[in-house]
Amino acid sequence: MSARPDEDGDHLLRVIDSIWHKTQQCWLDDMAGHFDRAHWTPLLTESRSYLLALGECLELMSTAERDTEF
Amino acid sequence: MTDVAEEIHADIDALKELRDALTRFRHAQREVVERGDQEIEATRASLEGKAGRWGSLLARRQADYAACQQAATLAAEAGRLADCSAEASAVRDAQERLDQIRRWQQRVEEEASAFRGTSGRFRDLLDLDLPRTENHLLAIITGLEAARGLQVAGS
Repeated sequence: MSARPDEDGDHLLRVIDSIWHKTQQCWLDDMAGHFDRAHWTPLLTESRSYLLALGECLELMSTAERDTEF
Repeated sequence: MTDVAEEIHADIDALKELRDALTRFRHAQREVVERGDQEIEATRASLEGKAGRWGSLLARRQADYAACQQAATLAAEAGRLADCSAEASAVRDAQERLDQIRRWQQRVEEEASAFRGTSGRFRDLLDLDLPRTENHLLAIITGLEAARGLQVAGS
């Protein structure tokens, strides 16, 4: 972890999503569909929403710092 | 047993890997949240420090300007001219910078406040929902292992 936290979080989300896609290839019953709808989709939606908001917030913090460097 | 075998189409190892990955994801994203919060706090503290420094500087410059004006009054009484425009300019400069810092402080507070809602929902996801998801997966894995054990025993 060395980049901005939102970038690291985004990377983590991509990694876990790729693991889920791999899992889906060998989980082919009805429970998989239910898991996707009830657990995975909310996880992705909430994570993306948070990381986007964090990125925007940190961008503003950087601008505030730059704009007050006298 | 053939019914169970037909209903179960999942690789137990893949599900275990997914569950372990979710646990790692939860801990790592918790660090992301902490770091995000720390950066916001650092910016707030930095702006507070700058406001303090420029506030002090403004007070000093205002004192300098007041002293200059007093000296100018005495000089005028003695028939001499004294120029305090540099001191006045320095006061304006400090006031403008302090105002700019305060505007940013207000904007940062508004942004941090708006962000708190999204952040709180994500914390709930990490602290409450994800452990439930991991437990749900564990129940599925346990069920599969039991069913496969029965299957092997019955075959």
